[in-house]
Amino acid sequence: MGMRRVAIVGAGMTKFVRRALETGPELAWEAASRALASCDLRLSDIDGVVLGTAPDAFDAVHMKGEYLSDGAGAWRKPYIRTYVGGGTGVFSVIQGWYHVASGVFDTCLVVCEEKMSSHIPHPQGAFITIFDHILERPLGPNLLWIFAMEMNAYMNRYGLRKEDIAYVAVKNKRNAADHPAAMLGVRDITIKDVLDSPVLAWPVQRMDVSPIADGAVAVVLAADHVARRVTDKPVWIEGVGWNVDTTYWTNRDLSYPTYLEEAARMAYRMAGIKEPRKEIHVVEPYDPFDYKELHHLEGLLLADRGKAPEDAATGRFDRDNENHPDWLPSSPSGGLLGVGNPIAAAGLMKVAEIFWQLRGEAGDRQIPGNPKRGLAQAWGDLMQIGTVVILGV
Amino acid sequence: MEKVNIVTQAQPWVDRFPLTGRYTYGVAGERFFRELKENGRFFGTRCTACDVVYVPPRLYCLRCFAPLEEWVEVPSTGTVHTFTVVHQDLDEAPLPTPEVIAFVQIDGCDGGLVHRLGEVAPEDVYIGMSVEAVLKPTAERQGGLTDIAYFRPTLR
Ligand SMILES: [Zn+2]
Repeated sequence: MGMRRVAIVGAGMTKFVRRALETGPELAWEAASRALASCDLRLSDIDGVVLGTAPDAFDAVHMKGEYLSDGAGAWRKPYIRTYVGGGTGVFSVIQGWYHVASGVFDTCLVVCEEKMSSHIPHPQGAFITIFDHILERPLGPNLLWIFAMEMNAYMNRYGLRKEDIAYVAVKNKRNAADHPAAMLGVRDITIKDVLDSPVLAWPVQRMDVSPIADGAVAVVLAADHVARRVTDKPVWIEGVGWNVDTTYWTNRDLSYPTYLEEAARMAYRMAGIKEPRKEIHVVEPYDPFDYKELHHLEGLLLADRGKAPEDAATGRFDRDNENHPDWLPSSPSGGLLGVGNPIAAAGLMKVAEIFWQLRGEAGDRQIPGNPKRGLAQAWGDLMQIGTVVILGV
Repeated sequence: MEKVNIVTQAQPWVDRFPLTGRYTYGVAGERFFRELKENGRFFGTRCTACDVVYVPPRLYCLRCFAPLEEWVEVPSTGTVHTFTVVHQDLDEAPLPTPEVIAFVQIDGCDGGLVHRLGEVAPEDVYIGMSVEAVLKPTAERQGGLTDIAYFRPTLR
């Protein structure tokens, strides 16, 4: 298609915290300057900037893209904000990718920021107005309702057990105990802890869901010739995919994310991947809820439909279980459930984790066996979009 | 839901956007407003490499991205960079007294504040006018922009 190869050459992030003193632009700057420092580049080396951030309502600042631009390093540069709900963090990399792949820029700084603590009483309030004002809002809906209904449909379709789903929350919070930026790493959490946590909206319980957070993450993209100059360990963007389903979610089968399968197939095609279960060595599927990680592993064609919970229970997705015959470490970072969920930043954190894993720089979280290819995925809008990036070395 | 022929009689669907924000000052903002509230002083941050003093202060230089750690006191005086005289409120109702809003370039730095001008008739304001901040009494200051009551022409 006449596109240039694009690599990620640097990454950086802030801690994910419940409530940051820093303003949104200050958080964005912290992540962006760390990403630049990680690859010895300066702001003047950057041709263009992409910013990802979720609804304006979270920071309680309208035109949040403009508000955050200085912190993202966009002063007097070509700049764009991108937003596809929870899918934003991974999509921002796709947007940066086509800036560079097209030949428009040689370098692109991609920054995602979220400051959810600004919103009171709870960011769920900001979500009320995403629903159809005539068909849904009269009921006073919130996002937990619809995810609970999706989880219930998924469980019922395949006769799934809550304890197998809860395994994901345990795995991710344990993994996060080794992440220096994590908010909720817990080394000794058990499935019983998850099953005993308060019910929010059945079948979703407190520990099935990720916490709101403040934080920012950034990565640096570079075209082939620049990437090789900047680092001897470029991590190539081998495939990208995204796909959206209807906003009218009552016109969908909630037990399977078809839109994600479409996005994944697009990315696999671009990356030349024929057998994803063999060719993907590490995966960071989007896990705002424990069932979502499993749901997404199925949509990504990395597990059979309805079988991901069973796979999880066998330890297939554990970080250090390399003797499992179908081993596929999933969310080695600790994911949104463990590191925290500042929406757009959390999605980009997943891309950064694959970057670190493929470079062997994931510290105590490093998976064994020199992984060569990984996939990061996010999900969003009205639970209708899948965004996928495949990285390789 | 019945058919109407006069547009003003059409029934809209009415709902509201409930939204309340709780903001932090930020690292740089916290220090700026603390100095203003407690000591009545203006501070900025300086980037040596770019030779720029930011007021309001910033934690980082937007030009070169360096962290800014050098805090410098700046005067509470400045120059009117531009201004407007506001005659109506948001609902287009006339204001009882027209209000002068100015962008005041603070002396000795790169930038400034938007604020009201006081103790001056609108027709006497001009671009390039020297002004100074009038602060509220210490006891009334809350740590916010309106701790500055207004700017007025510098007394000579
Ligand atoms: Zn500077």
